[in-house]
Amino acid sequence: MLTFQDLILTLQRYWAGRGCLLGQAYDTEVGAGTMNPQTFLRVLGPEPWNVAYVQPSRRPVDGRYGENPNRLYQHHQFQVILKPSPKDVQETYLGSLRAIGIDPLEHDIRFVHDDWEAPTLGAWGLGWEVWCDGMEITQYTYFQQTGGLELKPVSVELTYGLERICMYLQDKENVFDIEFANGITYGEVFRPNEVEMSKYSFQAADPATLFRLFETYEAECKRLLELELPLPAYDQALKCSHTFNSLDARGAISVTERQGYILRVRNLSRVCAEGYLAMRERLGFPLLQSAWAKAGEVA
Amino acid sequence: MAQDLLLEIGTEEIPAAFFPRCLEDLQRLVVEGLDAARLEHGDATYFGTPRRLAVIVRGVAEKQADVSRDEVGPPVKAAFDASGAPTKAAQHFAQKVGVPVEKLSRATTPKGEYLSARVEEKGRAAAEVLPGILEAAIRGIPWKKSMRWGDVADAFARPVHWILTRFGGDVVPCRFAEVDADGSTMGHRFLANHAIGIPAAASYVELLREAHVIVVPAERKEAVRAAASKGAEQAGGKILEDEELLDHVTWLVEKPSPVLGGFNPGFLDLPKEVLVSEMKGHQKYFSVTAADGSRLLPNFVAIANTPVRDPNLARRGFERVLAARLSDGRFFFDEDRKVPLIDRLDRLAKVTFQHQLGSVHDKVERFRGVARWLGQTLDLDAATREHVERAATLAKADLVTGMVGEFPDLQGVMGREYAKASGEPAEVALGIFEHYLPRGQGDALPSNDVGAVVGISDRIDSIAGIFGIGKPPTGAADPFGLRRACLGIVHVVLARRYRFSLGGLVDQALDALGPKVALAPETVRGQVLEFFRARLRALWSEDHPVEVVEAVLAAGFDDLVAAHDRLRAVDAMLGDAAFRALAEGFSRTNIVEKAPAVGAGQVDRGLFEKPAEGALYESLVAARAAVQKELGAGDYGAALRELTALRLPLDTFFTEVMVMAEEPGVRTNRLRLLTEMRELFGRIADFGRMDLKRAGGR
Repeated sequence: MLTFQDLILTLQRYWAGRGCLLGQAYDTEVGAGTMNPQTFLRVLGPEPWNVAYVQPSRRPVDGRYGENPNRLYQHHQFQVILKPSPKDVQETYLGSLRAIGIDPLEHDIRFVHDDWEAPTLGAWGLGWEVWCDGMEITQYTYFQQTGGLELKPVSVELTYGLERICMYLQDKENVFDIEFANGITYGEVFRPNEVEMSKYSFQAADPATLFRLFETYEAECKRLLELELPLPAYDQALKCSHTFNSLDARGAISVTERQGYILRVRNLSRVCAEGYLAMRERLGFPLLQSAWAKAGEVA
Repeated sequence: MAQDLLLEIGTEEIPAAFFPRCLEDLQRLVVEGLDAARLEHGDATYFGTPRRLAVIVRGVAEKQADVSRDEVGPPVKAAFDASGAPTKAAQHFAQKVGVPVEKLSRATTPKGEYLSARVEEKGRAAAEVLPGILEAAIRGIPWKKSMRWGDVADAFARPVHWILTRFGGDVVPCRFAEVDADGSTMGHRFLANHAIGIPAAASYVELLREAHVIVVPAERKEAVRAAASKGAEQAGGKILEDEELLDHVTWLVEKPSPVLGGFNPGFLDLPKEVLVSEMKGHQKYFSVTAADGSRLLPNFVAIANTPVRDPNLARRGFERVLAARLSDGRFFFDEDRKVPLIDRLDRLAKVTFQHQLGSVHDKVERFRGVARWLGQTLDLDAATREHVERAATLAKADLVTGMVGEFPDLQGVMGREYAKASGEPAEVALGIFEHYLPRGQGDALPSNDVGAVVGISDRIDSIAGIFGIGKPPTGAADPFGLRRACLGIVHVVLARRYRFSLGGLVDQALDALGPKVALAPETVRGQVLEFFRARLRALWSEDHPVEVVEAVLAAGFDDLVAAHDRLRAVDAMLGDAAFRALAEGFSRTNIVEKAPAVGAGQVDRGLFEKPAEGALYESLVAARAAVQKELGAGDYGAALRELTALRLPLDTFFTEVMVMAEEPGVRTNRLRLLTEMRELFGRIADFGRMDLKRAGGR
């Protein structure tokens, strides 16, 4: 049986074999693998980029005190970015499913329309949810825009929901019963984290502090951008975004205020994206000279 | 000889919602291209699956038709010099059209004589022009949303992988999105994932069928229906008929294959709508009912795109996903029922209806008052009025339940179920559900007064409120669904024959809105009534001549039932020759509108000079009494027949009497006589505006 970590290792080996860097999770709180700078910033501009990494993703509003068999404060995404999107990416993706033991002749694999949008990132793309026997196992997106900037070339993003896939492969009804490594369950590793983080998100977090932090991070982000430091500025934008999510879970933001906060975070994303692009341009878009650029396409 | 033309664009999976529209567009663009290029052709047919868009045009000519046209050159005066030799202009023209100067003809125009020449243009071979036509058609499909991919400059709904073209046995070379056309397609993604040569259009459908792709949409839809039915039969039941789901699933698969699954029968005590929503909404499963359709069975049919090797393995997956969703549903249903519906009202205060118009709680407070007024106006009995009050109070409470949060489509349904669970009277529970009816064209109407009255009140609050803040629907933009709300009111009022003042209803709504409405209430009232007039005109013109509809609306529609009855009566009388003659004569009374106003006052018999005046007046007085009686009884047909008696006196009047007499007293008296006539007629319709020649007879 494929353990949780076997699943990760198999996907890493598969994508490394197809020209991807094995990236690492980002060390600032993010809600999705997309927000890791290895996606959000690298998909901007003309340079090629191919990466695969696991990203722990925090969604305060989804916390369930470790009691719900399917919902988590923090889940893990296996994220692949291929830029530009290669022509045969669907087939390559299906190859990764075979690698983890999902044979399209044994399961009903379907590409079901699902346009993706992340309002706080000023990002949208078109693609599908990939279904395996009616269950969503991957979000598959051709990015059209991020940070409000048109993308050229277009990147494809594959986001595997690791817990879900693993539950399916191991035939487990409860995420905490997943075998993480031999003899160690997912629950043994993460359940206390779920309990405490849920308590924090819904009860213990102090809205006044969070509001203050939001303002601080926002101001820092703008200040750093003026110093032409888009990378640290983007960290501040990520912190803003997570703080907003925490406030939202805490019920501290009214329906009417909500849109205003989303716009403020989106504005930060946009200026960070512009700042990053300008920085790469100053550097002469170095990856245009890389092995990737010379090879043309991956895989 | 003519040849069949085939075009297939192979893509990654295109959203189901784009079909069949994109295929119709592709077919239209190809046919328009052929027509514009003067290539004769036979019928066109489209084909498609989520991964391919295709068109076959039969019998396309191999050559464009030849054309000849007359080209006009310089004026003859300027074409030859004094010696009669051709000028530069003439030589230039001769060269351009390829005809020697001496063979040019002359064309006489109003401006004088010009050199001219008949130019014969030979048709080009179809093979030369088809590539451009097909490329333009592929490029021209108007997608609701298109995308780019890789480094490719072109955009399409999803990435394009192959282009198959055949004209007879030849490939039509064309190129789009860095893909060159060739003579092959691809089979089913998993069952025949390889190139398949298609030698000509004639074998397209069959060869794809062999490659596990049913490319004829209607055939695939029937295959989905058959697959779903077969699955349901295995469970001893039948599928819950759902054409919308059937159409949708047709565009999700290339080759349907049923997987019958089940769920824990314990879930069957969830409301049926919840179960169906869970199965259909996200999963696209068909629900299964008992053979007699009486109840749901704990089964579903999923339509897979691949006939999987071991259906049991896939079935477990399908069941697992549904079980998780049903558990969620069960959780919401149980949690939601722990709180009586009435205790949820406070939370409605946190749900914004529209930021200027306040929360949903504010809205409920407003339309409950309007419903109270309407119940009194309609003289409903005390018990019903109490139910109206309660149902209005609770009408929106389910919006803050977990279940409706998850499945917005279940609004009203959950309100009904939770009201029952909270011990509310059955009429109240039903009224909560039915106040949303009709939800669209052809939907059921409320079965009793409770839902009807609450629904009318809720809708008029939305209409008056949104108009009141200056945001009426414009063109395609109607974010609050006010057109549907307006028609909903009309349908409910007519079906239940509610007699009340529409203007009064609007006033009630505006009163309740109070200072929330920024514009002057009189202005809003006028706009709202004009909005109703426009909707009524469009709705009723579907069944009646528009001129008659306008004439009837001009006579007022404050009482919607009466207006509709008048419309039907007038329409029914259009076949009556005497009535038509009367209505035609009546248009001559429009003279009153052009004359100076005569002010208030009675007709004075003493001022009549001609017998025809007196005769008309006595007929009018007699008819008025009879008409008033019939109008009182609501028998507009009888009233119209009474009015028909005025035809002869009216004709005689206009033959013998000159209305605009010299003497002011006489003239005023005649205008007053006609005004009284018009007032009487005007209670049914503004006949002066009705053009009977256009309206036609029935």
